[in-house]
Amino acid sequence: MAVCGATLAAARRGPARRTLWQIDPAACVQCGLCATSCVLPVSAVKCVHNFAMCGYCRLCFGYFEADAPALNAGAENQMCPTGAIQRRFVEDPYHEYTIREDLCIGCGRCVKGCTDFGNGSLYLQVRHDVCVHCEECAIATVCPTQAFRRVPADDPYLRKGAAGEGT
Amino acid sequence: MPFAANRRGFGQDECPLRIRCLTCPAATLAAALLAARAMLCWQSVPLRCRTTARVPEEAAAGPAIIDPTDHCNRVVAEFERSSPNPEPGLFPSPWPGFRGPHRNNRVPTPVALAETWPTEGPPRLWQTTLGDGHAGPAVFEGAVYVLDYDEERRRDVLRCLSLADGREAWRQSYPVQIKRNHGMSRTVPAVTPDAVVSIGPKCHVMCVDRLTGAFRWGLDLVRDYGATVPLWYTAQCPLVDGDLVILAPAGRDLLLAVDCRSGQVVWRTPNPDGWQMSHSSVVEMVFDGQRAFVYAALGGMVAVAADGPEAGSVLWQTRAWNHRVVAPCPVQIGGETIFMTSGHGAGSMILRLTKESGGWEVTSTRTIDKTVFASEQQTPLWVEGLLYAVLPKDAGTRREELVCLDPGGSEDVLWGSGREHRFGLGPCVWVGDRLFLLDDHGTLSMLAVNREGFRLLARATVLPDGRDAWGPPAFVDGLLLVRDSTRLVCLDLRQDRT
Repeated sequence: MAVCGATLAAARRGPARRTLWQIDPAACVQCGLCATSCVLPVSAVKCVHNFAMCGYCRLCFGYFEADAPALNAGAENQMCPTGAIQRRFVEDPYHEYTIREDLCIGCGRCVKGCTDFGNGSLYLQVRHDVCVHCEECAIATVCPTQAFRRVPADDPYLRKGAAGEGT
Repeated sequence: MPFAANRRGFGQDECPLRIRCLTCPAATLAAALLAARAMLCWQSVPLRCRTTARVPEEAAAGPAIIDPTDHCNRVVAEFERSSPNPEPGLFPSPWPGFRGPHRNNRVPTPVALAETWPTEGPPRLWQTTLGDGHAGPAVFEGAVYVLDYDEERRRDVLRCLSLADGREAWRQSYPVQIKRNHGMSRTVPAVTPDAVVSIGPKCHVMCVDRLTGAFRWGLDLVRDYGATVPLWYTAQCPLVDGDLVILAPAGRDLLLAVDCRSGQVVWRTPNPDGWQMSHSSVVEMVFDGQRAFVYAALGGMVAVAADGPEAGSVLWQTRAWNHRVVAPCPVQIGGETIFMTSGHGAGSMILRLTKESGGWEVTSTRTIDKTVFASEQQTPLWVEGLLYAVLPKDAGTRREELVCLDPGGSEDVLWGSGREHRFGLGPCVWVGDRLFLLDDHGTLSMLAVNREGFRLLARATVLPDGRDAWGPPAFVDGLLLVRDSTRLVCLDLRQDRT
């Protein structure tokens, strides 16, 4: 009888909702482990950009190293180790920053700069078109702040900003 | 090989195998082949990630544009009066400019302040809406002066409000095209009994009559003196010294003294090294009895003589403090010692001056890591031999904590406020024996602070749903003026409000 009851209750609840791993941007401290702990050769964690939150600054601390010698695209000035952020002049004084996910390794250096000194429009997310969906995510096991959590598979991103636009 | 040879007692040039390796063709060829093979092996290993060439592209920087409609002169200035001038009434004390009467963010209080606040916070006398920005107010004889930006009419607007009730008495404005760039306005006017001087976001300097608001003179530091508008606009607040306004265009001239009545330049300091305008402001210091104006530019720090025929001439300059973004002002911490700090990874530095026969020598005596003591926007408070500041967000576990440093003491700070007490970028004012600190979201804290630590006396949200509350506060006779990005509120901190 008890087994029948449990089965009926489960049937009423419907099929179990599939969940996936995702990074909570509010808990992420940009420790850098996402870049090195993923089972993939290049991490499935990528930086994403909420354009609606961005200040479009000429000196973006997600793009430039602190005390960069010059404010141009020279490698010595850039925060990103792989040049995965493209900078485009829009109009004085605005510049647009776009992430090239094919180059991004998920190190979070840009996210740290943007979080510390900018609007926090850059943040890390697991890209599910790249992720191989390990049930025991190698990054989640080492994440120092438990920023990795399960989210519904039909809404697998934790967007930053009130409306979550522009991600 | 030479190291091994030496240990065995051979000479520097003598090989134990009697082979002169570098001149032996066979050995050289073998070494080259080995290196080539190693290179091929390395090349054949697939890269874990893609790379891209990153070279300077000047086009990405964008051109420096002077909008042809931007002007600050008598022809385009517009004056509007809404009500009679405010009376000093119960609030006669001045807060005449950036960081108060003594430009140190410290002021005694002539009235007793409430020991604690109700849950909803100290009573709010009035609130007014401002354009998006961080400009702080100055107060003189019951009138509040704030340089606002009117986004609809595209004008910098110097507003005169009543301290008692917030009503607007008059406004003087000029046209300038400002786009939102982490806010628009961000300076504090300088007020004398006679005049009000302001610097706008794009380096326009305006002087008006304090009582009538009549336009007196205007300067465009970009057009007239080759200044470069700093990133996120001008944050430099004018310094009035007697009849002179001291400005730092850091363009063709590094510093200027302008006659407050006529607008004529009295002296100027050349800028041969091409230093640029920072977000810092000019401060007055005295070195061995000689008054000086000190400015931390982008490029370095300079002191110029303030008095006599030598006024405007360089006393000393140093490149020891040179960072991409500099907002706090230099702080004199003893006779010939200067403390300087910034955010964005810069940390802090102590500079010591020594008088030599040829003038002043400047040496850096201590550098302090950003995780120990730094400040992104606010100038540290210097109180009884100790420095207080709120650490920037890149200070690791102590980010946004209030910390206390003994600059002549140990390497670390004396204390930090702890993770339960963080204060954003930390706009603050020290009144009597209390420290008032505002966080980014409009929560005001009243603290008792000393060498041993701090005690939280009261805390309340005074700007509900506040955003970017970074503007410097002003304190006058028990009233505290604080702002966030779009609101200015006047709080009554007095114990007896009758």
